[in-house]
Amino acid sequence: MIAAAATSIKAPYIDWAAFSPIVALICGAVIVLLIGLLPGRRVREQIVPGATVLTLLATLGLTIWQWGENTSIISGALAVDRLSLVLNVVFVATGLVTVVMSLRERATVQAGQGEYYTLLLASLAGMAVLVAAQNLVTLFVGIELLSIPLYVLCASELQREKSLEAGLKYLVIGSVGSATLLFGLSFIYGATGSTDFSGIAAALSSKGETIASNPLMLTGLGMAVVGLGFKAAIAPFHQWTPDVYEGAPSPITSFMSVATKAAAFGIFLRFMDVAVIDEALTWQPLLAALAAITIVVGNVGALAQTSVKRILAWSSVAQGGYLLVGIVVSSAAGLEATLYYLVVYVVMNLAAFSVVVARERETTHGDSLSAFAGLGSKRPILAVPMTIAMLSLAGIPATAGFIGKLNLIGASVDGDYAWLGVLIAIGSAISLAYYLRIVAVMWMPDRRGDSPETDRPHGQPEIIGLAIICSAATIFFGIIPSPIYDLVRGAGESIGLL
Amino acid sequence: MTLATSAWLVLACPLVGMLSIALLGKKLSPRLAGTIGTLAIALAFAFAVVTLIKLQQLPSNARLETTSLWDLANVGGVKIEVGLYIDPLSTFMILIVTGVSTLIHLYSAGYMQTDKGYVRYFAYLNFFVFSMLLLVLAGNLILLIVGWAFVGAASYMLVSYWYRRETATAAGIKAFVINVIGDIGLVLGTLFLFRTMGVLDYGQLFSNIHVAFDKDAPELVAAMLLILVGAFAKSAQIPFHTWLPDAMEGPTPVSSLIHAATMVTAGVYLIGRLHPLFEWAPTAAAVGAIIGAITLLVAGSIGLVMTDLKRVIAYSTMSQIGYMIMGVSAAAYVGGFFHLMSHAFFKALLFMAAGSIISAMGGNQSLNNMKGFRKAMPFTFACFLAGGFALSAFPLFSGFFSKDTLLYEVGARGGWYWALYVAGYVGAAFTVFYTWRMIFRAFWGQPCKEAVVVMETGDAYHPAQHTNPHTGNEDDPSTQEVEDPEVGFPGHEHRYAEKTWQMRYAMIPLAILAVFAGVIQLPFGITNVISDFLHPTFADSTVAYMPEDSGLEAFGLILSSVIAIVSLIAAYWIWVRRPGSSAAIQARLPWIHKLFVNKWYFDELNHAVIIAPMAAVGRFAKNTFERIVIDGAMVGGATGIVRAGSSVVRSGQSGYMRAYASLIVLGLIGVALYFLIESA
Repeated sequence: MIAAAATSIKAPYIDWAAFSPIVALICGAVIVLLIGLLPGRRVREQIVPGATVLTLLATLGLTIWQWGENTSIISGALAVDRLSLVLNVVFVATGLVTVVMSLRERATVQAGQGEYYTLLLASLAGMAVLVAAQNLVTLFVGIELLSIPLYVLCASELQREKSLEAGLKYLVIGSVGSATLLFGLSFIYGATGSTDFSGIAAALSSKGETIASNPLMLTGLGMAVVGLGFKAAIAPFHQWTPDVYEGAPSPITSFMSVATKAAAFGIFLRFMDVAVIDEALTWQPLLAALAAITIVVGNVGALAQTSVKRILAWSSVAQGGYLLVGIVVSSAAGLEATLYYLVVYVVMNLAAFSVVVARERETTHGDSLSAFAGLGSKRPILAVPMTIAMLSLAGIPATAGFIGKLNLIGASVDGDYAWLGVLIAIGSAISLAYYLRIVAVMWMPDRRGDSPETDRPHGQPEIIGLAIICSAATIFFGIIPSPIYDLVRGAGESIGLL
Repeated sequence: MTLATSAWLVLACPLVGMLSIALLGKKLSPRLAGTIGTLAIALAFAFAVVTLIKLQQLPSNARLETTSLWDLANVGGVKIEVGLYIDPLSTFMILIVTGVSTLIHLYSAGYMQTDKGYVRYFAYLNFFVFSMLLLVLAGNLILLIVGWAFVGAASYMLVSYWYRRETATAAGIKAFVINVIGDIGLVLGTLFLFRTMGVLDYGQLFSNIHVAFDKDAPELVAAMLLILVGAFAKSAQIPFHTWLPDAMEGPTPVSSLIHAATMVTAGVYLIGRLHPLFEWAPTAAAVGAIIGAITLLVAGSIGLVMTDLKRVIAYSTMSQIGYMIMGVSAAAYVGGFFHLMSHAFFKALLFMAAGSIISAMGGNQSLNNMKGFRKAMPFTFACFLAGGFALSAFPLFSGFFSKDTLLYEVGARGGWYWALYVAGYVGAAFTVFYTWRMIFRAFWGQPCKEAVVVMETGDAYHPAQHTNPHTGNEDDPSTQEVEDPEVGFPGHEHRYAEKTWQMRYAMIPLAILAVFAGVIQLPFGITNVISDFLHPTFADSTVAYMPEDSGLEAFGLILSSVIAIVSLIAAYWIWVRRPGSSAAIQARLPWIHKLFVNKWYFDELNHAVIIAPMAAVGRFAKNTFERIVIDGAMVGGATGIVRAGSSVVRSGQSGYMRAYASLIVLGLIGVALYFLIESA
């Protein structure tokens, strides 16, 4: 019976070379977990992170090996193209930064190093699957593979109530999001009879009006947008963000704010621009409205916050609104602008989070704004990278953030959504109020005298190094943007956009 | 080393110099800062020479190279590169800029030695040279505008370098504001061109201009007039000239830098650089030529009556730049740039010599107080004479050949250009008079008390207290504001050329060049170095390079010689043989004197037409509009809205999962409803 079934199912051909980056991440996760079981402090504190880094470097190497590929693998379940490869690089880079940030993190001890890094690698594998997915099933598998380890990682600082709360909150709300997404995907399958993106697109274009106005299809599309919007923290599905970001251990917050966002936007781009591109006229106004709401809500929400992690959480919501603009216009220019902004957003946000992590460990003020008071005169080596990151997030010229926003605004104008470009500018203006507040706290003479007295500047050169590298890159790409242009060029064509 | 590399290195040297001086700052000893600054520019000059050699190795019909480091922007069809445009004209300019600037740096190293802001001074100076080099090497209009604006900023910093002098900061602001007006013109003109042509780099502008516009099309004329506003502001042409004499507030070497090698020549360069555009818009070119002619006459006339030594030279610069603007606008490119070169030499020299005298005078700049320095300062006297002969276009000195080439080329165009030709020779007479008036008043006659001190003690005259010569009565230091020699004011000790080797060695090469530089481009085609060298740049010109007219050329040379010699003799009579005669002339023609002394009332005109109405608008805006509309309605309203939005968003942030989940469901219902209603 089993033998009969086995012969009747034809196993798909697998192009192992193209599949190798994902394989490397999954194998690495297993190996790291097993190493973590070995006894000894040295194993836990050095070999486990070392093995994680090796896994990431191997993935990076394999990704670069596959550079320039543009194929579908495993019966069309995954796409290996410019979009997924660029994002793989982003994920690996973020993973490396997160490993470095976690080296002295309490959470790794409390949760167990082996488990912590395994979860990190598993989540990265989920992201790699997700951005390559071109099939509803792989999409869902990817999203769950990325989310479930993150739920645990958020709660990994076991002895801190806030961390546990963040994990639980993320799990419950995340489940609502996942359920919505799954529901939507099944509706779409029901309406089009296909799980492949290309099959859905073919069904939409061949049967035209009958499906395009089919309530089943439209409801499914709406639910899918909500589910993806949840992962990408698009307002009004963003409310978990500040709470979870604040509660999670800072390296994990940093990881979520960049890698999860990149993954969510990666699949958002592919789903909207490949599967349902023929319905663009229907969903464009909706996404435009969501982008507008997100920009406004994210930026006004960040005002009057006192926790820097919360400010950065709201800021990431607002930045998500900017990124969404590139999807709204559904053009190659829009896709490349989004991808470009994702890359620079990762760099500048990591610079900011490095400083937050460093300050969290140096003072007793945690991530409160007061931990940054007078930083300019006391620790300029941290204050300068933070200032650069804030200016770049706000989009000040000569930083990478400026060029990124310029591209998005340019794409929005070319795509006849100039008003969204204007909104990006207005949002940036509002955002100055909280980005510059952090800068002001650091550099203005501290009159109230409540700057942290209990400084414990113990050596953490790796974090300071991260902050400097990321902020230097922010300036470098603000002046010489061409390397990133070269990186993202062709991503739009690779998925068939004009 | 390739051509492109050497050109980039020309640009890099002053930048590196500026950054290293500025960043190391207080850690540097002043002497080292001066050395770094001077060496940086000297190195830039060396690379400029390499650039020249490499350029000359190319075949003469292909002497043009563009090079780009990276894209500054590539958005919406606009491609702006960080690129250079290396051709004979830009090479000619970088040679002059770096060469003369090197000597000015060397001079400064001696002249400013006791100034407390010495290190900052050299950082500014290197930045100034960098900006100017960026301006002349830029490969597109955007990069040119960047260099253009940097030059404006650098001039502001240097003019108000003695920042505790209120007169200096006011002069700096004036220079900056007028320059910004020019910048606006230049930017608008560029946008006009861009709107129709869609390109910004020179190569494409020049090759497409005949397709994009009809000859003398109104849009093109408007664009070129706006660009001329930029050129006029930088080059101190009427009516944007009032900043230049005030810019004398800066240290004397700065005046030398602004007037000789950098800044004021930018407008001439711009017109020369964009000559295919100007020739396609003859109306705009004519406006440039006429304004140049008016400027050379007005400035020359004011130079006749000024009593501040530096201001006389300043008006002389304005007047000479007027010649150049007139020349290049009238397609006298060889003459225009030849005169630019010889002017750079003799004007830098004159300022250096003037700085030496002012030092010996203890900071007093008034010609009324100077007398008889001939014996006291023989070296300075010799240099001043060399510069003076060249400036007044005395036969066989460099200024003689350059000015005559310029006027010959203008005259050769015939038609109404004859009027410009005549204006040029009238201006030449003015030039001779104001030049020799300076020389005779400062160097002839019974030595004044400062000259006696120099002769007797071998040291400069040091007044009991330092005063600002631009306040009170310029002839009487006791009426002037008292200063200390700390940072922000001039230093305590005055250096003059006879006692300071850096100043001497800077002046000697310039004196030689001022006398002999004319031999490289002699009339009647005897030598043709400049015209041959610049030919590839201007080969496309349809109006330059008229057929030879030896008669006109010979007539010009004779006329020029007669003017120079006769006016010199007349000046000698007025100021040496019959010392009272200038006062008599003054008494005979009081209204003319008054007009000239008040600088043709341009400052008052500006005040009445521009400043006063603007100030009234400003007061209204500040007291009424700003308070009610801006602060009240707009700022208050906008922040109020944002604040309200913020509290709404935050109040939704309850922390309860059920609230978050229900908002997601509500959002979902909204999305689904939108789709269903939209498709129904």
